Amino acid sequence: MAVTIAIHSYKGGSGKTSFAINLASAYASVGKSVCLLDVDLKAPSSFNYLLPEGKHWVNDIFEGRYGVMDVVKDVSKEMGTKGAFYVGYSNPDILAVREVSSKDRKWQSKALKLLMAAKKDLSNAGIDVVILDTGAGVDFTSVNAIAVADHVISVGRPGASRQRLMEQVIGGVYMPLDKDCYIIENMCHSDNPTDISGKKFDLPVLASISCMCDVAVRGDNEVLVLTEPGHMFSKKIYDIMESLDKITS
Amino acid sequence: MTDNSSTEEMIRLLREISGKLDRILIQGSVDKESDDGILDVLDVMTLLTLPDHLRTTATALFELGSATADELAERTNKERAVESNYLNQLVRMGHVAKNRNGRKVYFSIGEGLGK
Ligand SMILES: Nc1ncnc2c1ncn2[C@@H]1O[C@H](COP(=O)(O)OP(=O)(O)OP(=O)(O)O)[C@@H](O)[C@H]1O
Ligand SMILES: [Mg+2]
Repeated sequence: MAVTIAIHSYKGGSGKTSFAINLASAYASVGKSVCLLDVDLKAPSSFNYLLPEGKHWVNDIFEGRYGVMDVVKDVSKEMGTKGAFYVGYSNPDILAVREVSSKDRKWQSKALKLLMAAKKDLSNAGIDVVILDTGAGVDFTSVNAIAVADHVISVGRPGASRQRLMEQVIGGVYMPLDKDCYIIENMCHSDNPTDISGKKFDLPVLASISCMCDVAVRGDNEVLVLTEPGHMFSKKIYDIMESLDKITS
Repeated sequence: MTDNSSTEEMIRLLREISGKLDRILIQGSVDKESDDGILDVLDVMTLLTLPDHLRTTATALFELGSATADELAERTNKERAVESNYLNQLVRMGHVAKNRNGRKVYFSIGEGLGK
């Protein structure tokens, strides 16, 4: 069975996509079969154009036009990873984004069924880890992905106000859907990592990642985990991967 | 050796076909929706508003696609009678469709009539 991890955050710009690309690359680099899907249909990340594109879009999975294995592309050769590294993109074309934004509840219900089926297909195809890069906040695209996942990683920036908001999502979305959740504090001040784990919920904080210019500047042109595995950021990602392995095995 | 790998390949292909059939079933059910009496489509936001026990049942049904009360009870580790009761509650709420196939009764997430 594949392990499915949704990367989510209450507010945007917390580092979900950067984290998702690097975590997926870390898994693939140690020989795991990985599938990274951009399910942020309303604000496609295109994975910062770091990973080669496939022929079809993740949108096609939700429409039932193509199965997930027809959509994803194995980029392990290009990225030089030991394990298979499948990637699926959301369509960044504005027409596609507008179309998604006007979908009704009935379509969203079917989209959830199709995403569940996709997860099964990936598992059957021998994928070990499925990583879903979700959109920020609470809407159909993000919550459908959370519902499908086995584990949810909430990436958040530190701060008391954010903690209160995060608690809302934990209590109102993650918990009712019965998910194992973990927190990653991102962009912390290197000298002063503050604990943002909801006191009420007492969720484990997997790591505190400091704010590093390299992530912001170099992250647009390279996957740090692959180009510089010894980098402080890369080491954090590998540590997180090991913690996750212990949790999920 | 070759025998083994061709068996594996066959299993892989069969799984691929089964996945494709699943998709066709999910897509195809649109056409016959109008007479199964489903009034309120069950999307994930509605799922969140359900009481805990019904939400667990409905989520398991989303995962299984279509299932008997037995199959569902196995998934949720509850008594069949209990699960059957929850499923019928979801049917009455208009979220779940109930279909008889021979001696077995199958439950599935409904398609909804309206929006
Ligand atoms: N630890 C870090 N230190 C410094 N900059 C970071 C760090 N993590 C992410 N960033 C930068 O922050 C910006 C936002 O990151 P990213 O796009 O990954 O966030 P996101 O949560 O996916 O955003 P969105 O909600 O819009 O999808 C990017 O420019 C990224 O390079
Ligand atoms: Mg993003």
